[in-house]
Amino acid sequence: MVVNPNPLRPAPPSPSGIPTDPWRYLWRVARTQSGRVAVGFITLSISGTAWILLPWVISKIVDEVIIAKATEDLLPWAIALVITAIGSSWIFVAGYRFLFMAESRARVETVESLTDHLNTAGTGVRGAVSPGEMVNLSTEDAHKTGSFIFQLGFGWMGLVMLVVGTVILWNTDTRLGIVAAGGVFAIGFLVGPLLGRLQHHQIAYRASVATLTGQAADVVGGLRVLRGVGGEAQFSQRYRAASADLRDAGYGVATADSWVQGLRASLPLALIAIVTWVGARLALDRSITIGELSAAFGMTALLAQHAGALIGMAQAIIAAQVSSRRLTAFFGTESDISDGGTGREARGALRDRETGLTVEPGKLTVVVSAEGKPAALALERLARYRDSQAEWGAVPLADLELDTVRERVLLLREDYLFAQTLGETLRVSPEAAMSAIRAACAEDVHSSLGSTLDGAITNGGRNLSGGQRQRLRLARALAADAETLLAVEPTSAVDAHTESLIAERVTEARRGRTTAVVTASPLWLAHADLVAWMVDGKVRATGTHAELSLDGEYRSLTSRQESR
Amino acid sequence: MSVPSTRLPTAGRAEMMRAVKRLVLDDKAAFTGVVVLYVAAAGASAALPVMLGEVIDGIGTGWTASRVDLICGIIAGCVLAQLLLMRTGRRLGYRLGERAAARLRESFIDRVLRLPLGTVERAGTGDLATRTSGDVGAVAELLRKTGPEVAVALIEVTVITVAAFVVSPLLGLLFLIGSPALVIAGRRYVRLASPVFLKERAAMSEIAETLTASAAGAQTVAAYRMQDERRGAGYGRAAVHMKRLKGIVRLQTWFFPATDLAFLTPAVVVTIVGGIWYMNGWVSVGEVVAVAMLTLRLDGPVFRSMMALSEFQMGGAAMARVEGVHLMPDEERGAASDGAEVRLDDVTFGYGDGPDVLHGLSLRPRRGERLVVVGPSGAGKSTIARLIAGIDRPRTGRVTLGGAPVADIPLEELRRKVILVTQEHYIFTATLRDNLNLAAPEADDEALFAALATVDARWAVDLPDGLDTMLGEEHHELNLAEAQQLALARVILADPDVVILDEATAGIDPGSAGNVEASLAAALHGRTVIAIAHQLQAAETADRVAVVREGRIAESGTHDELLAAEGIYAGLWWAWKGVAV
Repeated sequence: MVVNPNPLRPAPPSPSGIPTDPWRYLWRVARTQSGRVAVGFITLSISGTAWILLPWVISKIVDEVIIAKATEDLLPWAIALVITAIGSSWIFVAGYRFLFMAESRARVETVESLTDHLNTAGTGVRGAVSPGEMVNLSTEDAHKTGSFIFQLGFGWMGLVMLVVGTVILWNTDTRLGIVAAGGVFAIGFLVGPLLGRLQHHQIAYRASVATLTGQAADVVGGLRVLRGVGGEAQFSQRYRAASADLRDAGYGVATADSWVQGLRASLPLALIAIVTWVGARLALDRSITIGELSAAFGMTALLAQHAGALIGMAQAIIAAQVSSRRLTAFFGTESDISDGGTGREARGALRDRETGLTVEPGKLTVVVSAEGKPAALALERLARYRDSQAEWGAVPLADLELDTVRERVLLLREDYLFAQTLGETLRVSPEAAMSAIRAACAEDVHSSLGSTLDGAITNGGRNLSGGQRQRLRLARALAADAETLLAVEPTSAVDAHTESLIAERVTEARRGRTTAVVTASPLWLAHADLVAWMVDGKVRATGTHAELSLDGEYRSLTSRQESR
Repeated sequence: MSVPSTRLPTAGRAEMMRAVKRLVLDDKAAFTGVVVLYVAAAGASAALPVMLGEVIDGIGTGWTASRVDLICGIIAGCVLAQLLLMRTGRRLGYRLGERAAARLRESFIDRVLRLPLGTVERAGTGDLATRTSGDVGAVAELLRKTGPEVAVALIEVTVITVAAFVVSPLLGLLFLIGSPALVIAGRRYVRLASPVFLKERAAMSEIAETLTASAAGAQTVAAYRMQDERRGAGYGRAAVHMKRLKGIVRLQTWFFPATDLAFLTPAVVVTIVGGIWYMNGWVSVGEVVAVAMLTLRLDGPVFRSMMALSEFQMGGAAMARVEGVHLMPDEERGAASDGAEVRLDDVTFGYGDGPDVLHGLSLRPRRGERLVVVGPSGAGKSTIARLIAGIDRPRTGRVTLGGAPVADIPLEELRRKVILVTQEHYIFTATLRDNLNLAAPEADDEALFAALATVDARWAVDLPDGLDTMLGEEHHELNLAEAQQLALARVILADPDVVILDEATAGIDPGSAGNVEASLAAALHGRTVIAIAHQLQAAETADRVAVVREGRIAESGTHDELLAAEGIYAGLWWAWKGVAV
């Protein structure tokens, strides 16, 4: 996670050009929706004015019709009342629609930005974001950063009502205006500091929710393991502990939240009480009429209610900022591989400086290593999943355009299988797909999916067995038909007969192209043009399998003679 | 293997009501307290317009300033009382919801942990994952937030209505004039809203799933240059979501004005008709104003509770899925095993409605024997492992442990005796210690290190925080070999009578696989070990080798015997050694 160490200095922009400062990101979200937001704000201003006029119209009816007992004035005022009531409601819905659409678009755009950033940051996102986190970013956080626009609109409406209401009250009696406007400001002043406390608890709470969601996800993923070893009780105990932590964090939120909620309900009432009091004294002095007293009451009630919207807006902004911080932290993740190279041309052998491994063009090289890790790392460097001094012929790999390397060099590991059909997974014509399936001995994958390339694979290939997944990955790599194919233990999960067939068919399919395979299996070695034997992370010897087999240590590693 | 999908059940109305009742009854005192506090708070707030009416009429009848001050002082007192009542009620309510949510998710997880693995696999992990992460969270949110808010709103509506009748029964009748419209609109909304909101939720989980896959498969996306595809997938899901959101706003466009009518109509009618009634001398001005102002106070709570209707619907749907897990029949596992002898007699088995995978297979591992089961892929080796571990039941024939059918032995007892380690290597997002001691909670650090040493897990010593190092994707990620060593270390800690290793060493470095096998064999000496292998390292030193082919035991004997017999095993062995047959 990238955390901006200095909040005063803006963070550098992310690789996707998305601001990495939370506030700037929110600003961007709002700005892209400026048209809808503007129309929404204007409409809500009109609606807010109509709302606040409602008690004023009622007060007019009280004074000029009811108390004056002027029946003839009833009709025009009644019509005015109905129009104000219906108008305020309908205009409000129009404004609501605009803001809702702005929010929805903003959410969609955040999801699109996330999609794009996943592509831009490439392999850098692995390890930077957990699956549970990704779920939160794309749903909750996208929602919260969008809905603040919405809340801003309601806050604005409250502000308009406040101004119009204060002006009307001021005109009725200056003292009433002062009390009402001053009261609304006081509400903001009193509740402000509390919101800070609430935010503090909310952050802790969000962290606990994420932990617990992660643990719950573990149940599904790890159920087989738990079942295998009988760890259910222990797991349940741990889950309960985390659940209790979350509950306690929730209690913390409850303490702060209850004050906010309580004050949110009561401060408006307090204001109404004060205005009523002042108004009643004024009415007693005949400074204002009975109707004006009731208007003051009604307007303050509405104002106070929308002072709640102002507070709601503040809360939404805090929540949006929390979410925006998480989003921008993710947008700040960068590709873990530098992409400064511009070269496209390279020919000759791939050479890894650190291990001394050389992959000769047009040949099948088998890398034999007692320890798998250094060999796998060497292939990662040669395929540029790690920056290194590796070279392709005379050209440093780092000087080549990354996209060119990706096109020409394919590294096969524990790759991901996406929710696609079999045909889409293999990414080639049906004929080529079938021949790749055959070469990888993955016919059973094909048949288990209904013997059609339209058979669906679920995310992560969860509807296939481990062995099937491995062979399907191999088939995909073969279908890609890259100039250079580097593979780490591509047949670790298959039986000897199948492995023998795969080694034979892959060798045939890749004849004349560059292939390197990390394995110690004699079934592969039988087909190897060249063998690189690695010991302690360095290539000790290179030669044919027969030449190297003269060495006893090599023999014991590859010929499976004696089990130790 | 592909297994036909059978979704997990969802709870019906009656079960839901029971579940809600249970949640309330479990915390009865707090629940009652919250309701009482909310009613009192609502009462205090409804006192305001009522007293306004009093003051208005009082002014007309010549009240003194001190009388006005007294009444207004009481109003102020009501507000203070309301604050304290509301705050206390909110706090209690929030904590109540928080507790209920915790109980709900804990019992859910406990139930999931007891679900038969076969059932979970048939349902697909996706369904279960949605329930554990999304639905449990949605219900929790309902319990701690939306639920209490709606309770407050409904109580306020009730108290305001009662207050209107107290002020003037006649005007109270006018007050009710908006209710039929509200009820009709509400019912229609609930009916229409639920599918609309469910679709929106579904679109949102599609987004989450797609982006999670893009993140998890970042390396694959780079390798195969799938950026355009993933972009298409992400944008496509976002577009569908947009469509669903539009559906929501379309619905709200008619619903909101309908809700507004619920309080605007009485406000207008009370003012006009009340005015006429005043002129006829039936009511006082104060009463008309008080009731008219009471109608305006309805706005907030009516709007809030109507808005929450859809949330309730969605929360209800989520709750139905959460509760549905409890509807799974509990497995009847009451058999008692005597000893730990494993026998498979004339077993046939197939997945779902599929064809038989095993055809009358019999296998009797001897106690303390190290039996290696080999054979080509798809021969049914892993199925044997699942049957012995009691995950699946045979179609015909018997799979027994100590004389009792394995699938009928209570899980706790079964796990003490039989442990299955597969090539599925899952690392829990927890510390190394927690990952290890799942099977043996009491094991001390020394035992944990010893177990790790046995499986040659030297990497564990170099971890930054030792046993307290957090593992998992966003912490310290283990590779395949390390994950498998961890799984094997767990077995050593659990120390069962029977160990089934299904390709358990497949990912370990060739150089150390032999070491691991040997140390494991030593550590498990005296236990019955049934090792399933594609690779034949282990076969050579096994007490016995059983060759499975097409769902039957084709050959069985020691390595040397089978080589001499020149049958299937001999063919496999020489192929594995790289010698052309």
